[in-house]
Amino acid sequence: MQWVHLLNANVQKEYLEMKRYLPNTIALIVTFYAIFLGMFAGIQIIGDPASQDVNTQYAIVNYIFWFLSIMIMQNIGWEITNEAMRGTLEQLCMSPMGLWRILSARLFSSTFLYLIIIVVLLVGTMLTTGQWLNIDVVTILPIMLLTLVSMIGVGFMIAGISIIWKQVQAFLQILQFILAGLTFIPLSVAPLMVFLPFVKGVDLVRNVMIKGWSFQEISGVDFLILGFNAIFYFILGLGVFLFCERIAMRKGLLAHY
Amino acid sequence: METIIEVKHLKKAYKKRKSKEYVHAVNDVSFQVKKGEIVGLLGPNGAGKTTTIKMICGLLIPDSGEIYVNGVDNQKKRLEALKHISAVLEGNRNLYWRLTVRENLNYFAGNRGVSKKEAAERIEDLLEKFNLKEKENELVNRLSRGMQQKLAIMVAMLADSEIILLDEPTLGLDVETGYEVRELLRDFVSNYNRTIIISSHDMDVIQDLCDRTVIINEGKVVTNDKIENLLQLFQVRAYTITLGGLLSDEQQRQLLQKFPQFEYTPDTVESTLKVNLLRSEEIYDLFDVLKKENTPVEAIDRATVNFENVFMKIVKGEFNHAMGPSS
Ligand SMILES: Nc1ncnc2c1ncn2[C@@H]1O[C@H](COP(=O)(O)OP(=O)(O)OP(=O)(O)O)[C@@H](O)[C@H]1O
Ligand SMILES: [Mg+2]
Repeated sequence: MQWVHLLNANVQKEYLEMKRYLPNTIALIVTFYAIFLGMFAGIQIIGDPASQDVNTQYAIVNYIFWFLSIMIMQNIGWEITNEAMRGTLEQLCMSPMGLWRILSARLFSSTFLYLIIIVVLLVGTMLTTGQWLNIDVVTILPIMLLTLVSMIGVGFMIAGISIIWKQVQAFLQILQFILAGLTFIPLSVAPLMVFLPFVKGVDLVRNVMIKGWSFQEISGVDFLILGFNAIFYFILGLGVFLFCERIAMRKGLLAHY
Repeated sequence: METIIEVKHLKKAYKKRKSKEYVHAVNDVSFQVKKGEIVGLLGPNGAGKTTTIKMICGLLIPDSGEIYVNGVDNQKKRLEALKHISAVLEGNRNLYWRLTVRENLNYFAGNRGVSKKEAAERIEDLLEKFNLKEKENELVNRLSRGMQQKLAIMVAMLADSEIILLDEPTLGLDVETGYEVRELLRDFVSNYNRTIIISSHDMDVIQDLCDRTVIINEGKVVTNDKIENLLQLFQVRAYTITLGGLLSDEQQRQLLQKFPQFEYTPDTVESTLKVNLLRSEEIYDLFDVLKKENTPVEAIDRATVNFENVFMKIVKGEFNHAMGPSS
């Protein structure tokens, strides 16, 4: 039950802060919507629909994951830095639930909220343009969930680094490009990238949406790889975070003021 | 009374920036706090008060030493120990500025695994007590500094833990708000049986609220005693003597030898002489010096001491507590 209350409180807090920083949130939504519209317009306007269609769908899937991963990572990095400065991080650290549980709840909440924004915008764009992508919810949902687990794992790493390293903002800028690499490059081009976080998941989603793979067509091996990848990165991320938290408690870095 | 906090031989050093030197912020501190006690943690700037408090709160890992909270080792079972503790740390910024008063309270309750419903009654009660009911829907960044500080204290009280640590709860508040916070704390202390550790530079707050003080200086405990004992100790030993004339140079020289810290204010009609005696018998030595030249003594008063003076004397090392009669 404690978990439920913790999660509940954090979803509300993330939602309220999104609402209070409304100009930022609106700017984000408008940008995202505009880019979606542009991509969909590409399907209709430019040349040979057969190949163009595929390319654009490809770009949309990449873009969704890229956007989602950037939002999650930057949000957690920014929050940690900010809260260390404000002193609230120390308050969170004093909770008998443990900071990692609170941050799990935070990461889960922000992922959930950004996902809602994306889904609404995606549907909105499809409605405005009349172009419908092949969205097989039943197949995509489990892949999506496992992919998000590994994303949250990486989020934990970012959170840990943000605690012990004050100049993390500069790194977060560079991170955008790394995330672009992870979400844009298909496995067929670089098969070894299957070991990196969320690459496999994005690849599978692309296959479902573009090649129209159904749940039955995805092999057990694919799911196994995906599941293993998710668990591995979640545990690794959590480990890195707990390690950084300990360093911070040794050196007195929980408050930066 | 049973011991609820036990601090044993705590040490903590910070590495100085860009050098290999260390600052020994806390250097072998030990003390105990009994259930229901209110202890003042005093010391000059940089004495190690905040560092000690943060180690008790599990925010800093000591280099060595142990802390038991309600019998739980806070390094071996950190989260278990945290169940018994809440704290207001230095500064008033430890709140979410873009959330309202109530939203902050709800959020912090949730983070301890408490539902909104369960917390509702306590929140209502606290809003009432702290006189923030009309401000419950105000964003924290629109509150005055005093209200923010009150909210920070409310957050700590909301946790319903047996132990509360307050690091400079009245710092930066105007006299009136400082007084209000003090009243609230006192009220809280008498109505709820909590164990409290307060660090403060405001001696009035300490004198008003605390049963006992632990004074630390340069990372070491220099005094650990009841406030009334400390006051009494100084009361007995501090005398103001009113003289009906002046002291000769020879007398002053002799006094200086015996009482290096005596204060003499010469005046042809009424001079005053202030001395601190280490032992009460020393008053005879003083009189011997006066008698030599038959200096008229108009009055002898015990100087009134306030806690601030006592504190200053202890910190400056002008007073060795081990010599005191109460030890
Ligand atoms: N995070 C830190 N990194 C390095 N040095 C620190 C850190 N925190 C405190 N110090 C140093 O440790 C010593 C003790 O500091 P501390 O904050 O515990 O003192 P304090 O008694 O709370 O003082 P004040 O009354 O000014 O609040 C000081 O010399 C301080 O400069
Ligand atoms: Mg301090």
